Amino acid sequence: MSPLIQYVPGDSFFHRLDPRAKIVFMLLMTTIVFVIQRIWIAAAVWLSLLALWRVARLPFSILKQMSKALLGITVFLFVVQALFYPGQTSLIYPIIPETVPIIGGVGRITLEGILFAVLIALRLFAMVLILPLVSLTTPVQLLALGLVRLGLPYSLTYAMTTAINLIPVLQDEANVIVDAQRLRAMQVFEKGRFWEKLRAYPPLVTPLVIGAMRRAQLIAVAMDSRAFGASKNRTYIQDIRMRLSDWVFMGATVLYAALVVAAGWLIP
Amino acid sequence: MQEPLIAFRQVSYRYPRTRHYALKRLEFGIRRGEFVAILGENGAGKSTLCQMLNGVIPHTRGGRMRGRVLVDGLDTRQGEVAQLAQKVGIVLDDPETQLFTTSVLNEVAFGPENLGIEPDEILRRARWALDVVRLGGYEDHPPSALSGGQKQRLAIAAALAMMPDILVLDEATSQLDPVGTVEVLSIVQKLNHNQAMTIIMATDKGEQVARFCDRVLVLHRGELLAEGTPRQVFADQDLLARITIRSPQVSQLAAYLQRHGRPLPEFPITLDEARRGIEQIVGDQPET
Repeated sequence: MSPLIQYVPGDSFFHRLDPRAKIVFMLLMTTIVFVIQRIWIAAAVWLSLLALWRVARLPFSILKQMSKALLGITVFLFVVQALFYPGQTSLIYPIIPETVPIIGGVGRITLEGILFAVLIALRLFAMVLILPLVSLTTPVQLLALGLVRLGLPYSLTYAMTTAINLIPVLQDEANVIVDAQRLRAMQVFEKGRFWEKLRAYPPLVTPLVIGAMRRAQLIAVAMDSRAFGASKNRTYIQDIRMRLSDWVFMGATVLYAALVVAAGWLIP
Repeated sequence: MQEPLIAFRQVSYRYPRTRHYALKRLEFGIRRGEFVAILGENGAGKSTLCQMLNGVIPHTRGGRMRGRVLVDGLDTRQGEVAQLAQKVGIVLDDPETQLFTTSVLNEVAFGPENLGIEPDEILRRARWALDVVRLGGYEDHPPSALSGGQKQRLAIAAALAMMPDILVLDEATSQLDPVGTVEVLSIVQKLNHNQAMTIIMATDKGEQVARFCDRVLVLHRGELLAEGTPRQVFADQDLLARITIRSPQVSQLAAYLQRHGRPLPEFPITLDEARRGIEQIVGDQPET
């Protein structure tokens, strides 16, 4: 399964938490990351989430992998914000003079633009820490059960968990197709130019999509054959129960979120 | 006469957006406790027939269906798939598409959970089903970590946990090696003998039919071409010539001997029967 969502077995405090407490944590943290407007608060939230990764004893190699993937987006963000953010404090003066109509002023890099790019990057890096904190510490079955107990329809949560389970299968199928293409002397993905690689994708994606559709249909048949959706009172062999530590964690999350929002308002 | 557990009454079916009928005017019955093979080549309509037994056709797949399929007196068009799932357990050919949870125990519990059965009873059923297929002790293993044979046995356990009267195997051993195939079919045979479970096995392998089944329905291009005991079917050389199914090798040998004027006393379908027959002939030969 994809290392970003695959459950990592463990016995940390985070692993033992009730899925509902973790889902509430995820929703609240995602919301506050969205509303943060100050760089130092965004940095503090990011550091707090990193600390929680430590508490959950999650492998930092995953973090490294995610950061690598985000690097390209971050560079793009800096370029766009630096060039187009309507700031006042110019660090580099425009390449094209402001007097030129329409494109005049392009190329001016402002301090405000750089700071805004830093804020967005911090938000982005904080955001990607939240979901894995939940998905890597909770078996997908319990996550689904948590969502059901929070009131979501079972069919919806099951569709979600099945989709998650299917990701590694599709990855394997994609690898098989690429290997089959390699066996027929196709080397575009290793040696091809950008446009050649782009042209090589349809032959990869088409069988993958057709295979996924066929698989989805067969899974639907298998699920129907095992009475999926038969009873409104579906039972579960595993059950979840909110304990004192779960309530304390949820309370602490709410308090933390309130403090972050208040800090944004009160401290200049 | 005993009412059949399964009855096909002039059943024809075609898939959505096709003109061609996958099944044509099928008429047959299957009695409780029988082990029946649906024998036919690829595209004969075996899977379509299997999916009619638990109502997936036409409820899930759609298409146009004529005639009636009765399972324990219930018309599959009237009953819901979930209702029929309690009577008919089905195991498909590809274990990968039948296992969709994260642990062996969850996989077996999935069906009973859907039926709203109490957790204690689900656990009792799950342990029983896993013991039957010899997967006891694997409860916490992820299904993806099992071998092909184990996955298919798990798929059987998942069907058994629903406590069905009928178990349908739709080419359930097609992806298994010979050892895995015998493992799975021996378990199914025991269920048939010990629990009087009705077994329907769709296959294109004559050897399996000869070894395990009481009765054979031969399907060819959606039509029921013949039905009878494995011996009757495999002895009918004209029938076998019309389809691309190969009879067991011992039956082919017996047919060869018959054509050359040396018939065995009884037409064999298994190696033991062939050996007995040959011993009889050799015993009859005058000493030289």
